[in-house]
Amino acid sequence: MARVYQVPQHAFIWLITGSLLASIPQMMNGPVWIAAVVLFLQCWRVLVQRGRLRMPGRVLRISVLATAVGLTLYSYGTLFGPDAGITLLVCAFNLKLLEMNKMRDAYVVIVLNYFVLATVLIVRQDFLISLYVFVVLFFVTAALIGINQPEANIRARSQLRYAAALVAQAFPLMIFLFVVVPRVAPLWEMKSDQKKAKTGMSDSMAPGEVAELSRSAELAFRVQFIGEAAPKPERYWRGLTYSWYDGRRWSQALPQNISASDVVAYPSRFKPRWYSDLERSAAGPQYQYRIILEPTSREWLYAMTTPFIEQNNIGVVSDYRLISASPVTDSLSYTVKSYTRMPRGIDAPRWEKEFNLRLPAEGNPRSRAQAREWRAQAGSDDQYIARVMRMFRQQKFFYTLTPPPLGPDQVDDFLFRTRAGFCEHYASSFAVMMRAAGIPARIVAGYQGGEENPLGTHLLVRQYDAHAWVEVWLPESGWVEMDPTAMVAPERIESGLEQALQSQGSEFASAFNEAIGVSRLPILKQLASAMDYIEFNWASIVLGYDGMTQTELLKKWLGEVSPLRIALLIAAGIGIIGLFFAVLLLWRGRRPSLEWWQKEYWRLHSALRKRGVEIPDHPAPGRLVELVSAQAPAAAEALKQWRECYEGVAYRANSANLNGMNKTNSFDKQSLKRFRRIALRNIS
Amino acid sequence: MQDVIRQSITAVSSVVLGKEEQIRLAVSCLLARGHLLIEDLPGMGKTTLAHALARVFSLDYRRVQFTSDMLPADILGVSIFNPQTREFEPKDGPVFTQLLLADEINRATPKTQGALLEAMEERQVTLDGLTRALPDPFFVVATQNPVTQSGTFPLPESQLDRFLMRLSLGYPSAEMELKLLAGSDRRQLAVNLKPVASGEQLQHAMAEVRKVRASRDLIDYIQRLLAYSRNGGLFVAGLSPRAGIGLLNASRAWALTGGRDYVIPEDVQVVLGPVAEHRLQSLAGGAAATATQKLLESVPVVRRQ
Repeated sequence: MARVYQVPQHAFIWLITGSLLASIPQMMNGPVWIAAVVLFLQCWRVLVQRGRLRMPGRVLRISVLATAVGLTLYSYGTLFGPDAGITLLVCAFNLKLLEMNKMRDAYVVIVLNYFVLATVLIVRQDFLISLYVFVVLFFVTAALIGINQPEANIRARSQLRYAAALVAQAFPLMIFLFVVVPRVAPLWEMKSDQKKAKTGMSDSMAPGEVAELSRSAELAFRVQFIGEAAPKPERYWRGLTYSWYDGRRWSQALPQNISASDVVAYPSRFKPRWYSDLERSAAGPQYQYRIILEPTSREWLYAMTTPFIEQNNIGVVSDYRLISASPVTDSLSYTVKSYTRMPRGIDAPRWEKEFNLRLPAEGNPRSRAQAREWRAQAGSDDQYIARVMRMFRQQKFFYTLTPPPLGPDQVDDFLFRTRAGFCEHYASSFAVMMRAAGIPARIVAGYQGGEENPLGTHLLVRQYDAHAWVEVWLPESGWVEMDPTAMVAPERIESGLEQALQSQGSEFASAFNEAIGVSRLPILKQLASAMDYIEFNWASIVLGYDGMTQTELLKKWLGEVSPLRIALLIAAGIGIIGLFFAVLLLWRGRRPSLEWWQKEYWRLHSALRKRGVEIPDHPAPGRLVELVSAQAPAAAEALKQWRECYEGVAYRANSANLNGMNKTNSFDKQSLKRFRRIALRNIS
Repeated sequence: MQDVIRQSITAVSSVVLGKEEQIRLAVSCLLARGHLLIEDLPGMGKTTLAHALARVFSLDYRRVQFTSDMLPADILGVSIFNPQTREFEPKDGPVFTQLLLADEINRATPKTQGALLEAMEERQVTLDGLTRALPDPFFVVATQNPVTQSGTFPLPESQLDRFLMRLSLGYPSAEMELKLLAGSDRRQLAVNLKPVASGEQLQHAMAEVRKVRASRDLIDYIQRLLAYSRNGGLFVAGLSPRAGIGLLNASRAWALTGGRDYVIPEDVQVVLGPVAEHRLQSLAGGAAATATQKLLESVPVVRRQ
């Protein structure tokens, strides 16, 4: 058998570090057994390098591989798809560490190492993980440099330095290519299930579900206002509307004869009439903002009321909310303009009004009777609404995360017995009261408020900001948003959930804090907000730089975007960056420029030549002075001082440290100049 | 310290008349821990100079007259079988001394020359597998007759490179020659010379040489000299890095003998001839000294750009 290739010791350190670090994210995300497999293989490899163990034979290698395949199949139920694929890849890669018989294998391992590192970004793309990948890149590159240096007496640290230089040189090119190279849609869908959102809104709502959501501090989305920020009471982020009520659960629904395509417009492609009409009637205060949505695996997007948007694959639904053409599996950035006070839906279609009046045939008799009674007493819809609102405000309603369970007639039970609930209880009972009185109403679900990051100009909207409110249709003003929860707990709208719970009683607040684990330490809070500031900018600048932003940027640079122009731009960019480094290297390698005293010597030399003093081409300074003094005794004194000064600077004070810069003594500089002038005056 | 050095030079000058510069160079060579090669015709005072140096610096002194039938053992020593102890006992040769005068080194065969030159470089002697250090300091002052004389084995370049300096004394001036003839026996004078510097003082002076400052400008000048000797088209082969280090150390010692604790370009220019000439071979075929002068004229003392 041929001699087994021995990885140089200095390269091995980086090879094993790089492969371990590249496997760690998968060890943390993937099934438990993968950590055991990776650590087992890595330990074996280290022992082989130390000469304690041999490389495993073929039988053992195949059985480890078979085990890994079996476990993957067991954990995922398949060998295909990104998650099972990454798991298998990590196993196979670590197994390859034990199959390095030739130098070529070492190259394969390093190329695989880069690839495994890249797969980390399929699962997560936030700033911290990107930074991690970037750091591991150094180790892998150091290993690559190391195996190309077979000499034994090399220190491993020097490779890290080379790797740093290499990566630093590649960095501008990387940024340039990131900005310029067109985004080609992948040939296959790389959607990892690991990104699946654990919490979030769903397409139906029953009492207690939003309260459940409120126990999570997970980020829902970030908002960055462009220009003026909307005042706090207007920050209602609509996500979806529920029109169908079955007595217990509110769901998203359309009448059978209406298809989804009738109510959705994709303004970037085509504007149907209702959308153009809506656009035309836009008036009143408007706010522009960008939302960076965390992956939800759902289509719903969030925006303040009456949103307008022109972005590919984002649609506006006729109930004034946004949807994405496909489920949001990567963080998505979109810019919206909202007219928060404009009237809309005055000419709503009949089916919509009727659909939003439906109630189950039976159930909640007390509420219905109450509604009919109050509506009869009230002169108008407005007065009736005010009457219901007054009920919430004046009677003893409680705002709580832990409402008592409700009986079969939920609204009756809530309004007349428990009177303690979370936003969905209020919204639901309010909507039922409206429908019972003949006013079309539907539930709006989304988020309300958001926490301002002290460092940035952006809002953080978390799952515990989840909220439900109501939209009613009135003949004169169309669809109007109303929030019964604001009657019960106005702090909820003004300051957020935490404040609202605190004012209701401390035990609720502490239960809430415990549930979401918010840290009370100020330093941790500051750290968290600083980290969030970075993450926000990362998400908005780097991750938010998608194909569309790129096309716009390229249009600005190139005018018309054609493949030829892009190719030329890329070639020119690479050329300029390459030229920059070439010039930098030449500049570094050039001969050092003259020191000031050396210039001074040559100034004196040429001045003496001009005055006709006979001197050699380049005598030693002392010799020069002697020669000139002999020919022009008048200048001898000044020249002697010039010489002393020169030798002092150039030969006595000047340290021989070739790397360090010499300190320039301005006094010496002035003296040298003065003595030269005096000497020359005495010669001419 | 500088007084001691000056007094030493004066003392040696009282024996070897009219050769102040050569004596100062010889002292510099010793202070720079270098070996000295004196090349001259017989009877020019080479031996007297070596003897005087040894006396003045209170060094152990041995003299070996090199001949063509000499063997390495005659210099390094031999192991002798002692019948009583039934063991070989090393018997040190004349090389175990502080100042060795190797008279007419080019009369010995290359083998013998090589044995000495190895001891010079390593400052140790290996005899029958036993390595022993030579005394510290250890100087070799070798004299050589010009190679044009018959019956000589010229030293190869590689071995010449081990001598820091090569000096030649030359005929004395008329004035000095009169003094010489009128005075007493020179050899006797050298023997009677009083030590000026103790062994400790010599060690101290040698340590001082290392501390003499060589600035960046100066080192740059030396480097440009070395580079020009290699690429300037003046010599068959340029100066070696060892020659470069020697040049710097010799310049430092020269500066110290002049009472300065920093080197100026003139120091380098003075020692360049003695340090470089014996290592170089002029490409044009003329004397190495002429080419060395040319070297000095070609390299700017102060960097031009």
